[in-house]
Amino acid sequence: MLIERCIGAYRLRRIQRALRHGKVTVICLILTVVVLRGTIGAGKFGTPEQDFLNIRDHLVRKTAEHRRVLEEIQPQQQQQAKTISDSAQSSGSSSTSNANSYIEFDINTILKDEGPEEKPDPSKPYSLGTKISDWDEQRSLWLKSNPQFPNFIGPEKPRVLLVTGSSPKPCENPVGDHYLLKSIKNKIDYCRLHGVEMFYNMALLDAEMAGFWAKLPLIRKLLLSHPEVEFLWWMDSDALFTDMAFEVPWERYKDSNFVMHGWNEMVYDEKNWIGLNTGSFLLRNCQWSLDILDAWAPMGPKGKIREEAGKILTRELKGRPVFEADDQSAMVYLLATQKDLWGSKVYLENAYYLHGYWGILVDRYEEMIENYHPGLGDHRWPLVTHFVGCKPCGKFGDYPVERCLKQMDRAFNFGDNQILQMYGFTHKSLASRRVKRVRNETSNPLQVKDELGLLHPAFKAVKLSS
Amino acid sequence: MGQDNFMTQKRNLSLPTTAAAGNGRAFVGGGRGALRGKHVQKTFNNIKITILCGFVTILVLRGTIGIGSLGSSDALNQNLIEETNRILAEIRSDSDPIDPNDPPEPDVNPNTTYSLGPKILNWDSDRRNWLEGNPEFPSYVNGKPKVLLLTGSPPNPCDNPMGDHYLLKAVKNKIDYCRIHGIEIVYNMAHLDKELAGYWAKLPMIRRLMLSHPEVEWIWWMDSDALFTDMVFQVPLSKYSKHNLVIHGYPDLLFDQKSWIALNTGSFLFRNCQWSLDLLDAWAPMGPKGPIRDEAGKILTANLKGRPAFEADDQSALIYLLISRQDKWMDKVYVENSYYLHGFWAGLVDRYEEMIDKYHPGLGDERWPFVTHFVGCKPCGSYGDYPVERCLRSMERAFNFADNQVLKLYGFGHRGLLSPKIKRVRNETATPLEYVDKFNIRRASHSL
Repeated sequence: MLIERCIGAYRLRRIQRALRHGKVTVICLILTVVVLRGTIGAGKFGTPEQDFLNIRDHLVRKTAEHRRVLEEIQPQQQQQAKTISDSAQSSGSSSTSNANSYIEFDINTILKDEGPEEKPDPSKPYSLGTKISDWDEQRSLWLKSNPQFPNFIGPEKPRVLLVTGSSPKPCENPVGDHYLLKSIKNKIDYCRLHGVEMFYNMALLDAEMAGFWAKLPLIRKLLLSHPEVEFLWWMDSDALFTDMAFEVPWERYKDSNFVMHGWNEMVYDEKNWIGLNTGSFLLRNCQWSLDILDAWAPMGPKGKIREEAGKILTRELKGRPVFEADDQSAMVYLLATQKDLWGSKVYLENAYYLHGYWGILVDRYEEMIENYHPGLGDHRWPLVTHFVGCKPCGKFGDYPVERCLKQMDRAFNFGDNQILQMYGFTHKSLASRRVKRVRNETSNPLQVKDELGLLHPAFKAVKLSS
Repeated sequence: MGQDNFMTQKRNLSLPTTAAAGNGRAFVGGGRGALRGKHVQKTFNNIKITILCGFVTILVLRGTIGIGSLGSSDALNQNLIEETNRILAEIRSDSDPIDPNDPPEPDVNPNTTYSLGPKILNWDSDRRNWLEGNPEFPSYVNGKPKVLLLTGSPPNPCDNPMGDHYLLKAVKNKIDYCRIHGIEIVYNMAHLDKELAGYWAKLPMIRRLMLSHPEVEWIWWMDSDALFTDMVFQVPLSKYSKHNLVIHGYPDLLFDQKSWIALNTGSFLFRNCQWSLDLLDAWAPMGPKGPIRDEAGKILTANLKGRPAFEADDQSALIYLLISRQDKWMDKVYVENSYYLHGFWAGLVDRYEEMIDKYHPGLGDERWPFVTHFVGCKPCGSYGDYPVERCLRSMERAFNFADNQVLKLYGFGHRGLLSPKIKRVRNETATPLEYVDKFNIRRASHSL
């Protein structure tokens, strides 16, 4: 009433109306913000869902329970470990016993990088290394002056270097390193039988080409440092040998420089992004290979270049999902668009599984054991079972964890059985780590031959001088 | 105007008392019919607004809590984590899927002496005949005897992930050395003999490999926790032409003091011959697990100096065997200590920087140790005999120390002995072969 007398009834009503409008507007605005926050979230302030979970966790303290098995904390030890880390320099038997425990040790506390980080020069276009144009001549000169390192160790058998690798830091997944260990044992066995040399890489040569592109600078460096190597065989760490008796038909590739598993129609006609596989391939040590590596690399440098290249590849290739450029898609694109330059020396092999996608193979192992025998290398007994997408070293892959790990065990045992049978043993089953005897010991061991003839195979025989 | 009506109605809602009064005042002249119509409209508006508010509330609630199974990817994540945990626990356990068709394991008869296999009597002549009949598998290539490096680890994952990671690094280290020196590797992950499990598992494997590979002249056992730290040094096998077992140790500790660490069975070489088979047969009896191993442990603790009380291990058993039957075996055993065929890590790892400063690879001894052996660290188990940080730090340093020697050929080196990252130590060039000639270890060793 007082206000009415000051301003006047009409004006008062107008103010009240305005206030009412204002109230409604504000209510609507608040509602909109709340709804949007609920759906999209507000960045680091989180969503109401996260708030809810935080409150719930605070009250119930469930998270510790979930992580228990993954990190193997025994409750008392963790408590003690915490108190030890709190009381820094306390001596005494209790502290030493826990300082000796490997559980829950963080490796990052001891790793230390010294010296400056190498920064690439942003003004220069990316290059794998100094351009070399006369590699064939340089190499043949070297081979002539070093006859004790021939590039052919048998009449048809070239010197081969199998290259694989993994990260120098522990896997995110607690059993990832164990599967890497089994994978390397599998490769050691195959390479010992077939006289192939091995290089296990744990170094990132070029920080710009990280991830799946890391193999390119490595391959180039190895080709140039090992002129005695005729063929370089790159193999992913998640690929396992499952046919120990199969020898790669080297004579078939005498006119080719690059052998990959794939299909000509799928690459050149369809431009399908999985028309070939770069998880297991052979590359000859020659100028042509250095040139194709240089042509392959430009889509690799991480950051904007790789992102943009990824978009081009998704657009141009059939079936490719949207993600940054990967080396396989880049190779399909390179071959499809520059077939006249490279196609004549590329051999897309599909008569045997130089790379075998695991999904269609792993369930058939028992059937293979029943009906076939090692040495075939194809769909009847695959040379390589490649666990694409499983990512055992990472936290989550594209497939269910259980299926991946169990099947990798089976594939490993399937290959390992062929090695153990040389010594008269086999795994109790494809899922079991235990072995059982299948051939009794004898006092005349040299009379006994192993079924597959892998103890002294023909492809390992030393060239006899006539 | 319309808006005004709406606002009036809203005011009706929020302020019922005044609105009622206001309404009464405003509509008193409209009559009963008009009043009823207004009531209906009011109710209708109320319902509209109620529905609107209800709708908005549901939207907001869905944004916060979600609608059970339709909502939250986070619940999915939780399920995934729980499943992963279950699978990991299963993988890490030592259990096997039990096959009902398997015959029950026969019980061990403690009265019969354990044997590695049927006695072989003429191995030397059998082997010689085989080599003559198979010239494409010679035991000497380019004047160098064929060596097979045997190492291994248990078939199940380590108790902690660090263990598997360092096993992996140790294998890479061995692959590098063996590639440079033309040695084949056998990595064993199977327990060939249930009774000889643990550190004894090497005995049946060594015997098996000797008999299956007559073309192999020397079998070199190396523990999984031993790393090569001198990539250039080669074992001088010509020095041992009259010996069949080369093992690192100290003769005075062995014969005078009878110490249980007089020899180290973490890295030794066995020639492929009858003598070695006989020694293995004499070595094995203390191994079978159970009461035999425990009893044997007591004997060994009683007879060897400084040995703690625990079950029989292969090292103590070999020392005891060689001491007690000195006359039978020692003339063919070479106790080597002029270079570190086995180098105990504690005295070596802190001196790497000093070594890099003053010396060079190829020496193999205390100036540049051939092998650094991490005895007692036990990274694959849960507990070691030494603090974890010290062990892992030292293992990382030893690995990088060796890796630098391999990477030198490629023009790279680690950014510090504790760093997994590498840096360029030599610029790229258009003529890489001149550096290959300079830095390739294999080439250098071949021309010797």
